[in-house]
Amino acid sequence: MFLFRRLSIPLIVLAATAGPVYWAFPEGLSAARSVGIVLGWAGCGLLLASLLLMLRETGLACRLGGLERMYRWHHHVGMAAYVLLLTHPLALAADAWPGATLLAWQTLSPFSQGPPVWLGWLSLLLLMLGLATTFATRIPYRSWRWLHLSLGIGVLLGLWHLLQLGIEEPVLPILALAALFLGWRLIGEDSGLAARPYLVQSATPVADEMVEITLKPLAEPIAVKAGQFVLVAFFAGPTFRGCGEFHPFTVSAIGLDGHIRIGVKALGDCTRRLQGIEPGVPARVHGAFGTFLAERPAAAQLWLAGGIGITPFLALLRAGPLSQPTTLVYLHRSPADAAFLEEIRVLADGDPQLSLQALATGSAPADLDSLLPAAPALAGIECYLCGPPAMIAAVRQSLRKRGVTPRHIHFENFGFR
Amino acid sequence: MRRLYLSATLIFWLLVSAFWAGSVWLPRRDGGVADAPERVISTAELARHALAEDCWMAIRGQVHDLGAYLPEHPSRPDVVLPWCGKEATEAYETKTRGRRHSAAADAMLASYRIGILAADKP
Repeated sequence: MFLFRRLSIPLIVLAATAGPVYWAFPEGLSAARSVGIVLGWAGCGLLLASLLLMLRETGLACRLGGLERMYRWHHHVGMAAYVLLLTHPLALAADAWPGATLLAWQTLSPFSQGPPVWLGWLSLLLLMLGLATTFATRIPYRSWRWLHLSLGIGVLLGLWHLLQLGIEEPVLPILALAALFLGWRLIGEDSGLAARPYLVQSATPVADEMVEITLKPLAEPIAVKAGQFVLVAFFAGPTFRGCGEFHPFTVSAIGLDGHIRIGVKALGDCTRRLQGIEPGVPARVHGAFGTFLAERPAAAQLWLAGGIGITPFLALLRAGPLSQPTTLVYLHRSPADAAFLEEIRVLADGDPQLSLQALATGSAPADLDSLLPAAPALAGIECYLCGPPAMIAAVRQSLRKRGVTPRHIHFENFGFR
Repeated sequence: MRRLYLSATLIFWLLVSAFWAGSVWLPRRDGGVADAPERVISTAELARHALAEDCWMAIRGQVHDLGAYLPEHPSRPDVVLPWCGKEATEAYETKTRGRRHSAAADAMLASYRIGILAADKP
């Protein structure tokens, strides 16, 4: 099962690329033109795979090794497609180079070509724009999301470019699949049609700029385990102005009656607004996703949490006593930022397997050399990390220096752009 | 990834600029009508060249030997091959649901011209 999950995405990418290339593999053409055609079809297949990997479906994510892994591949596959598609028109033009320089330019130039080539150019320019915005992380999320949509439009225009060239097979099935993936993402997921309805039951401040929201299911609740995260959109309430867009939140508690609690730190426009949320606000929930604390071995464990990164560990502690000897290191900036610390202290006092180290680091990075156990004490230990990306990178590096292999270091990123 | 995006995009535009500059400044052998002798070709002779590797087409009264070009045509073969050995002006003018070929295609077509189509008499 593990091997199947590891190989699933590479196999999908390979099939999506090799299929159209095999169908359209040129015979008897010059080398440059053949390369141009193969690159175009390979790019087309990679884009289709990339669209599949942007879907936020629980079952799909489970089969493909998790949403975070899907998104990592989505980015890499999309970038590979972009590079191949940039090379596609250049290789076609190079076919006439250097003997027929005017013909080479006319093959490439939109000014001397008709609608099929115009569409190809428009598609490339939209891919260029969409990817440029992907890297512009300072753009507000809502604007970023709309600009990112230009990538999807670019894919559809690229396929239309092929139809205009008179190539309907296998473009029509690819176009149908691309439209299905994009439509499902926009209508089923982004608009919340496929998400479960919930209602905000309570919202409790737990630290500076951090609130814990309890969500009550209005229909069948989602299936969720400690350590997982959900995508939640909050809509307008009696006085609350909704965000309407889905954001990832780690579940901090799971009730037997289907209630879930999530920790929300004010990190952006929407999460800042959520600090003032009120009971009665409708919400929709996708999920659950993630395998962060799933399938934990019986070995002793080191949990390292930074700030809001305490929530997956808290969900597990709230679910009952631990069965493995566990050290929880909880880093926070100041006592006012130490969400749930008193509750965790009480849980640690009542659980002989849990030892707690809470440390206020101030605004400086924690001194990991003095904080982490020495190499001999880490032998055979499973390490679980959750917190800001910079902290995770630093801790991973320190653990590697102490001889902990990557197989024993577990973490999840929550970068969904 | 960001560096790859920036490098790939920059190289792409540099190469596009190089193709344009090459078309303007480098010596070239293309761009003109082939110096074919003014040969009059009957419809019967035209019809004898109806194969993929030996494909003549009459377009706007001019006959073109497109056998060497056909493998490079962007459309799939079954769109073009039925017009080999025939008068194909209508097909040429109405490709992709009514739109004609581009000026660049016209220029390219001219380089394959081998003669003119005889009027009516086979």
